[in-house]
Amino acid sequence: MAETEKLSASQRAKVRRLSAPKELAPDEEGGELNIVPFLDIVTNVLMFVLATVSVTFTATIDSYPPRAGGGAGRTPTTKTLSLTVIIVNEGFSIKASGGNVAPGCSDTGPGIAIPKKGNDYDFEGLRDCAAKLKSAAPEFESEEQVTISANPNIPYQLVIGAIDYLREVPNPNDPQKPRRLFPEVNFGLAR
Amino acid sequence: MANQPPPQAKPASTRAPQKQASMATYKRELRKQIKKRAAEPEINFLNITAMLDMMTIILVFLLKSMSAQSASLPKSQDLTMPNSLLTTEASQEGLAVLVSKSSIVVDDAEVCKVPADATHGVEAKYKRSGPNDLFIQPLAAQLQQWRERDRQIRLATGKDANASEAILIVDKDTPYRLLVEVLFTLGQSEFAKFHLMVMQAPKK
Repeated sequence: MAETEKLSASQRAKVRRLSAPKELAPDEEGGELNIVPFLDIVTNVLMFVLATVSVTFTATIDSYPPRAGGGAGRTPTTKTLSLTVIIVNEGFSIKASGGNVAPGCSDTGPGIAIPKKGNDYDFEGLRDCAAKLKSAAPEFESEEQVTISANPNIPYQLVIGAIDYLREVPNPNDPQKPRRLFPEVNFGLAR
Repeated sequence: MANQPPPQAKPASTRAPQKQASMATYKRELRKQIKKRAAEPEINFLNITAMLDMMTIILVFLLKSMSAQSASLPKSQDLTMPNSLLTTEASQEGLAVLVSKSSIVVDDAEVCKVPADATHGVEAKYKRSGPNDLFIQPLAAQLQQWRERDRQIRLATGKDANASEAILIVDKDTPYRLLVEVLFTLGQSEFAKFHLMVMQAPKK
């Protein structure tokens, strides 16, 4: 085996010098800002904001100024339903062009069309009744206006609930496309 | 001094000059040493591009979802909006009219107090002609100022200047009588379209 060739002193010195890790010049180092602490702060602030700010998603229901009497404003030239829902303390009273809708929503006559179920208002009953009335004649299918009135003490949440349930009814054949009932709301003034 | 001996020349080094290794050996040794003494690669900076992208998206989402609210909604026991099944976006256009349990506020200015029992509307002193009237005078006065400004803006921007719009933010327990008084006064002040603000149902 051949003897390992040894470097001379000058060669070793040169190797030491050349293999030493290079020191960065002052203008070469610090080219990047150390933004890690900044990012820590920003992340903490972001987490704090996300935790404290409650994002509320809102929607708006469009409506028009109330009319005295609660009925339709002009004399219709064609047969119309002219649906009016009055929220009273006992339930929903419904009036249409044929007169007052009787309890059970099957005929005209005196009484509350959709009485309360116990202490709760029967919103689903109201929706089913509105759908039934709309289907009563082919001319009513294009009608989308409803007038809503209420007793003076009825809270706003109940009015919004009635508007919601009168807007549309689920379509069992196509759940993505509910059947439109009465999305256009007018407010009536009780005489 | 003339008789001093001349300085002696430096004696030649007694050590024989070391034999230099071949260039190949020298280079091999140099490479070995460079490899051995090389400093561990230091992470001088983080690649934060992906993180900044993510934070920007979150920020944009927050700003977008907050701008969906047309007015700065006061969050208190005094004003809780009603819940609705609606999932559509809120309308942005119109004057914000707030009806809380204690007051009616228009354009950040309180116009009148709401009594504890508001089933007869606001107090008669605010009405035009007694307790049965629906017209709230301080509210109408405030609305008229805003309406005049809005009319000028609508004329300048080519919109229909005949009527303005209002966003109604009403407490869920507000009696219907008070709601109608506010709506009636708005209608009398040439506001023809109302946007009733509600809390949106969760999207399916």
